Amino acid sequence: MDTIINGLAPALWVDKYADALYAFTIVRISDREIAKDIVQDTFLNAWKARESYTGKASEKNWLYAICKNKIIDHYRKGASNIVNVAAREENEYFDEAEHWTPDTKPGDWGLDYTQPVEKKEFYTVLEKCKTKLKEIQQTVFVMKYLDDLDSEEICKVLDLKPSYYWVLIHRAKLHLRTCLEKNWVNVQ
Amino acid sequence: MKKLILSCKRATYLISLKEEGKLSFRQRMQLRTHLSICSMCKKFEKQTAFISGNAKHSPQHADVTLDQNSKDKMKTTLKNIVDEK
Repeated sequence: MDTIINGLAPALWVDKYADALYAFTIVRISDREIAKDIVQDTFLNAWKARESYTGKASEKNWLYAICKNKIIDHYRKGASNIVNVAAREENEYFDEAEHWTPDTKPGDWGLDYTQPVEKKEFYTVLEKCKTKLKEIQQTVFVMKYLDDLDSEEICKVLDLKPSYYWVLIHRAKLHLRTCLEKNWVNVQ
Repeated sequence: MKKLILSCKRATYLISLKEEGKLSFRQRMQLRTHLSICSMCKKFEKQTAFISGNAKHSPQHADVTLDQNSKDKMKTTLKNIVDEK
C-alpha cells in the first residue's frame, strides 16, 4: 500500500495526520473514544472517496474537510436524540424571586474585560469547563465560537428551533461563567 | 413596580439574546432599566461577553497526541481496506 494513488498516499496518512486530526476533533467533541473513531472514519472514508480527489486542495486540507463533515454528522446525531429540554435548568442559579443567590452571583474578576486574555491557562480552563457542559450545549457553543458559524446556520445544520438554540447558548454561558470564576479567576 | 422590573433570571436571558441581536425595542428598554440598578447582572453581561470574545480565539487544536497503540490499529484497518482494492 505504499504507492501513490490518485495523488494520495494513504500509507502515510496515519503518521502524517492522525495526531493533528485528533487534536482538532477533541476540542470539538470531548469524548476521546468518539474522537478516535472519527479520525479512523476520516481515513476510511477518504480512501473510499479517493476517486473524487481532484488535487485542487492539498491532501491535508481534503482530509480535514472530511473530518469536519464527520464531526458535523456526530453533532446531528446528538441533536436529533434530544427529546425535550430539561425544564428550568437555570433555576440552580436563582432563588424563588429569580434573583441571584449568594453562592451564584457573579463575583469581581478584577480584570479589564475589554482586554483579550493572553494567558494560555484561560483556554485550558475554558476547555475543561466546556467538557462539563451537556453535549448539546457544548456543540452549539463550539459551532458558534470556535467554528464561527452564525446562529441561523447552526439551527439549520442541527435542525433546532431558534428559541431552543437561544436557551442552549444561554445555559452554556451561565455554566461556563460560573466554572471559569471558580477555576480560573479565583485560582490566579 | 415589580412587573416593570425584570428579574435577574430573565435579565440574564435577555443579555444572551442581546448578543445574538435578537432583542425587541421593549426588551432593550427593560434590560437597560434592569442593568442600571443591578450590578450583578452588569457583571454577568461583561463577563459573558469577555468569555465569548475570547472563546473565538480558542486554539483550533488541543495540545494532545494519539497513543501509538491507537495509531497502529488505524494503520492496520486502513491497510486492510487499501489492500482489498
